[in-house]
Amino acid sequence: MKPFTFTLRQEPPQRVDLSALTPDRLAGKSLAEIEKIEIGATRASTKVGDVFQLAEGDLKNVRYEGGSARFDLVGAKLLPEFSIHVEGDVGLQVGRLAKGGKITISGSAGAYAASGNEGAHIEIKGNVGEMLAAPLAGELAGMSGGRVVVRGKAGARAGDRLRRGILIIEGDAGDDLGSRLIAGTIVALGATSGRVGYLNKRGSLVLAKRPEIGSTYVDCGAHAFTFARLFSRALKADSEAAAAVLSGKLQRYGGDTAVYGKGEILTPV
Amino acid sequence: MSKATLDGKAITLDDACKEAARILSGAKFPLVAGLGADVPGGRAAILLAERLRGAFDHMASRDLLVDLDVKRSFGMFTTTANEARLRADVVVLVGPGLTKQWPGMLERLALDQAPRHGSHAGTPRKVIWLGPDASEVGAIAGATVIPASLQEIPFVLGVWRARVGGRPVNPEKIDAAKLERVDGLAETLKNAKFGCFVWAAAAGLDALTVEMMQALVTDLNVTTRFTGVHIGGRAGASGVTQAAGWMTGFPPRTGFGRGYPEHDPWRFEASRLVDSGEADAALWISAFDGEAPGWSRADIPLITLAPAGAAPARGLFIEVGQPGVTHDAVLMAQETGGLTLRAATARSDAPTVAEVIDAIMANVSEVAPC
Repeated sequence: MKPFTFTLRQEPPQRVDLSALTPDRLAGKSLAEIEKIEIGATRASTKVGDVFQLAEGDLKNVRYEGGSARFDLVGAKLLPEFSIHVEGDVGLQVGRLAKGGKITISGSAGAYAASGNEGAHIEIKGNVGEMLAAPLAGELAGMSGGRVVVRGKAGARAGDRLRRGILIIEGDAGDDLGSRLIAGTIVALGATSGRVGYLNKRGSLVLAKRPEIGSTYVDCGAHAFTFARLFSRALKADSEAAAAVLSGKLQRYGGDTAVYGKGEILTPV
Repeated sequence: MSKATLDGKAITLDDACKEAARILSGAKFPLVAGLGADVPGGRAAILLAERLRGAFDHMASRDLLVDLDVKRSFGMFTTTANEARLRADVVVLVGPGLTKQWPGMLERLALDQAPRHGSHAGTPRKVIWLGPDASEVGAIAGATVIPASLQEIPFVLGVWRARVGGRPVNPEKIDAAKLERVDGLAETLKNAKFGCFVWAAAAGLDALTVEMMQALVTDLNVTTRFTGVHIGGRAGASGVTQAAGWMTGFPPRTGFGRGYPEHDPWRFEASRLVDSGEADAALWISAFDGEAPGWSRADIPLITLAPAGAAPARGLFIEVGQPGVTHDAVLMAQETGGLTLRAATARSDAPTVAEVIDAIMANVSEVAPC
């Protein structure tokens, strides 16, 4: 069956909050009711019908034909077994606190993508803004499960306070990749800059290109990790290149020793 | 008599307030920014933003949110400057330009005198300054100066924290001689009876750096007392933040678009709101020194509240007095860490920010349109 489709009529006049447009929250509503859902966030009202043309379909799969950098909170709190595809860009916090399911974005995503993600598989074909998978202001932990694949570049502080789950960044990463990592794994294939893994507790940073190793990371030698090879196989479906990085011998740097020194940076020998 | 101009032409204050109310009421998403005001001025501005269902941001938000982000996502030990002056036996100053961020710092902290309270009273104070600027190197007699650029400071603090905890560091970056010096410093920190860091986010430190410093403070507090004195942002930032907190529950970069306060430091950053076209009118308040807004777009209706002589070429300008200079003002005092009344030093009849905003508000209808 065809997916339930929202076709963009025109660029919204203001940022829109699309958190209400996930399959579980649309279930049981008629098209007319959905068109009346308020998605604006200012005193000027913006309704679903103002921005989108709707086409009924299988609510398990929601599709956006056309995106915008003003689309905030696409797929927020998405539940397992549902999927959302956006043909275009999205704004802030795509996949925020998603419990599961699959989100694919053909364009780029804004800041705080996958913030607090709890289990969704999120793929972004373009670039992402700063604070990928990070906690929002005042929160204690970032993404706590699931998997995020970014085919393009990531902004500053990607993976901040990551707690669990996997981030794969195929392009370059912005400054301070993996800041305040709690746990989890980040694989970055492009260039990195700034304070990589600053305040890392026990997370793993796998970097295809060796960065300048900071003063609180200690060389632990080159190893052929059995687990890395196993892990590599698990990454194959998402990124052949990321899997390739983990399949060979890896130089391990333990850190951030300013914290516990239980985290690591792994780079190919 | 106060002056008001519209695109450079003089108009009466009354007409100016009416025109301001008309512009702001007609906007879909008005912005109240700058917020360079005393506490009553900040309070009036936030009330106006709420009435208009717009957003408010302070010009020093970047700096105040650095400290606040660490406070709310990690935790923070702080004390007042007076407590540090009376009790601290080890003081570590971090970053360049602290004497510019807080001109009265050296006098208030009396770093050249011994602490007066505690078992260590009377023993000479140890002062360490990490990364002062060239003019500050000799500012404190007897201080140990550790040169470091702004980019190096976060790494230096990381190395200190690793060594205080007895953990190894990268020998390629920290050679044996350097390690010995760091270990000596780590001993000084651990042996402090009452240690204190002093920093200013406005000097260029970011949240990760401040978090590393506060994490070091936390580690030191396992065995001794250690705390911090943070130097607040410019243009009344600390006082306005307090007012925003008690009024909305949030610091600046908060919006009322949906009728209730929502705090989002990314979405409600003033320059981004204007440059992205999301805000379609702005009230810019800069009563201390007339600092101009940082955004680049010049095509949205702009109302400026600033002291005489700071009128922009474009838009509506209403002259206001300078808090604590032309009128008495309630401001957050860096010296005591509390709200204080600053008596005017050169009294004039220029209206306060609160008076002008109240006059604008009187022309904004109770129920905003849309």
